[in-house]
Amino acid sequence: MFKAKLKEAVICFGAGRVTLKYPFEPVKVPPKFRGKIEFDARKCIGCGGCANVCPPRCIVIEDIGEIAKITFYLDRCIQCARCYEVCPEKAIWPTGEFETATPDKSDLRSDMTIWMSTCQRCGRCFETENAIDKFPSKRWRGRGPGEENKHGIFPVKPPIEFVQRMSLVRESEEKI
Amino acid sequence: MVKEQEFLMELWTHFPDMLQDLQEHVRNQYVATIPREVLPAVVKHAVKQLGARFVITVATDMRQKTGDYRISYILAFDKQKKFLVLQSAVPPDDMKITSVTPDIPAAGWAEREAFDVMGIVPVGHPDPRRLILPDDFPQGVHPLRREFAYNEIFPQEPNMPPRKPAPEGTTVVPLGPFYPTLEEPAYFRLFLDGERVVGSDYRGFYNHRAVEKLGDSELNYNQIPFVAQQICGICGQVHSCAYAQAVEDACGIETPIRAKYIRSLLLELERIHSHLLWVGLAGHIIGFDTILMQAWRIREPVMWLMERVTGNRKHYSSNLIGGVRFDIDETAAEDIRRVMDKVEQELKAVVDAISIDTTLMARLKGVGILTEEDARAIGVVGPVARGSNVPIDCRVDHPYAAYEYLDVQIQVQDGCDSWARTMVRVLELFESIRLVRKILDDMPGGPVMAKVDHELPSGRIGLCSVEAARGESHHYVLTGDENRPYRWRVRAPTYPNLQAVGVMIMGLELADVPISIGSYDPCFSCTERVETLDVNTKEIRIYTREELEEMCKRKTWEKE
Repeated sequence: MFKAKLKEAVICFGAGRVTLKYPFEPVKVPPKFRGKIEFDARKCIGCGGCANVCPPRCIVIEDIGEIAKITFYLDRCIQCARCYEVCPEKAIWPTGEFETATPDKSDLRSDMTIWMSTCQRCGRCFETENAIDKFPSKRWRGRGPGEENKHGIFPVKPPIEFVQRMSLVRESEEKI
Repeated sequence: MVKEQEFLMELWTHFPDMLQDLQEHVRNQYVATIPREVLPAVVKHAVKQLGARFVITVATDMRQKTGDYRISYILAFDKQKKFLVLQSAVPPDDMKITSVTPDIPAAGWAEREAFDVMGIVPVGHPDPRRLILPDDFPQGVHPLRREFAYNEIFPQEPNMPPRKPAPEGTTVVPLGPFYPTLEEPAYFRLFLDGERVVGSDYRGFYNHRAVEKLGDSELNYNQIPFVAQQICGICGQVHSCAYAQAVEDACGIETPIRAKYIRSLLLELERIHSHLLWVGLAGHIIGFDTILMQAWRIREPVMWLMERVTGNRKHYSSNLIGGVRFDIDETAAEDIRRVMDKVEQELKAVVDAISIDTTLMARLKGVGILTEEDARAIGVVGPVARGSNVPIDCRVDHPYAAYEYLDVQIQVQDGCDSWARTMVRVLELFESIRLVRKILDDMPGGPVMAKVDHELPSGRIGLCSVEAARGESHHYVLTGDENRPYRWRVRAPTYPNLQAVGVMIMGLELADVPISIGSYDPCFSCTERVETLDVNTKEIRIYTREELEEMCKRKTWEKE
């Protein structure tokens, strides 16, 4: 009994002080850390790959005529890093920021708007054809036969938001 | 195919016409479709005569495909290293099956859940109360049926599922429903006669997040691993790994061996920090906070290591269908080796001290007895089973990831008490450290991700058991169209283990209940207030602490 307590005391004293002074001292995160994401509207080609792979659906794309509006609901983000893994243009990347606690969810929401041109054949909006070719999944349509799946993207039935905006596109197509 | 396997041969001789449709979808996993009239008999025979272990039932809404529902009983033959799925069609106009629970207590919760989510009635079930749906959920709505969308909101119904009545003359002490430091809310009602527990009732699933519904309606194959890892705050890698391997098995995807080794490595590291967390919590529960502080101090470098290697302390986000997303390079391997050396050295000192600590032994030895027969009957898994002398470990019994290349030693203790469960976990810690080193030494080179086909085939069944720190975590996947599963079933290890609580705490003193429940790694709550139920008037009264103390004194005095 006494021996055990003595051993435990030795362990406790041997450990010394291990408490960090956080939050009075900043904590350095490792290079691979998956923190809050940031994005650059100038690099984005509006391909929709990030929205396609996002498990909690925190990236949502709306096509409004010639504008693509991409909304990031980062309050829902689970830091899985899929979006910047599949981004062909590196328009989205992680930061080391992890202190995102806030009383207001809207603090974590942000969006960007990109001007797109409309394809005369299919009525969809894209930046340029070259940019589309860079992306293996070609938006929601899936790959062609024989194309390699580099990023593990499966073509899926689009979420509800996409169905709505497709009807918008179709309307505009009918007008043409 | 039947003749190759002795256990299937025996089943076949007893039920010659029933196993005509036996298929081996995946290696070591057999699927048989049998009429629902004989299903209970076959399940009973397999469990009672052939030594199969009941794993889980899966209720599936197959109306879009075959016009009826389907109930599947999954059995594990641990010695033969095989799984057997016995499935039956249940017509929508007569949704009844004969319950196997009177003979196999392990099936109790699974059949109750099948009724809750799909409406399949287990006839003859001894305790057919609501299990997983909230108390105010409308009657007659079974949310996993395909007609309900994942985001549908149902009107609340002011009903209260019947609670188990307390035996006459007992006091009801609630443990729960929420305990702030542990991850799962659980609500035990303990029936006390004086200080002794004479019965208990459990209500849980307060935190049910309907991931199965999301999985078969909204998410695609490669989104689910990231949602699966959010199921548990401690064993996230276990769930995403089990899911990914079930899909790979079902679709015949060959995972590269290096990816398998990386999965095993992350699983073992996860086991190390989970067991260290538990050792600390066990000390905390019995009021010995030195262990809490020291075990968690040793654990923290492992968390930092995971942050450096994978990018996050807890949710590693490493699995996709076909492999893992990142490689472990030489610098990371060195880092892991260094941390393992440090953890091993410090752990040895702590284990040296606590293994001869008579205070600990007094609190843990002979407390929370779960005999080997009970453990086998209820089908407990993991350290709870191994502490009761049941040598099951799916790393050995149903090898997955790289465990077929690693020689895993099963740690078994025959004490059947909380001390035995503690020792199992402590020995497993050293075993895991050994495995991590072996994995790093043996890891072959090569790619970490397989090429995955455009469309994965539909209608295939894949099963995967992964040994989490708490026990066997089982995933069942029935693949569907549009690159998403038709049915995804998750069974966490605490699911069978919680069913053993009633047996384990029977006859204990109230003070020993927390550590007994804690000894298999779930959660519980301190009792600030006590609710008593007058059996005659059905009147509920909340007592203050002073009143309670007064009552306790009076009751003890009266007894004497």
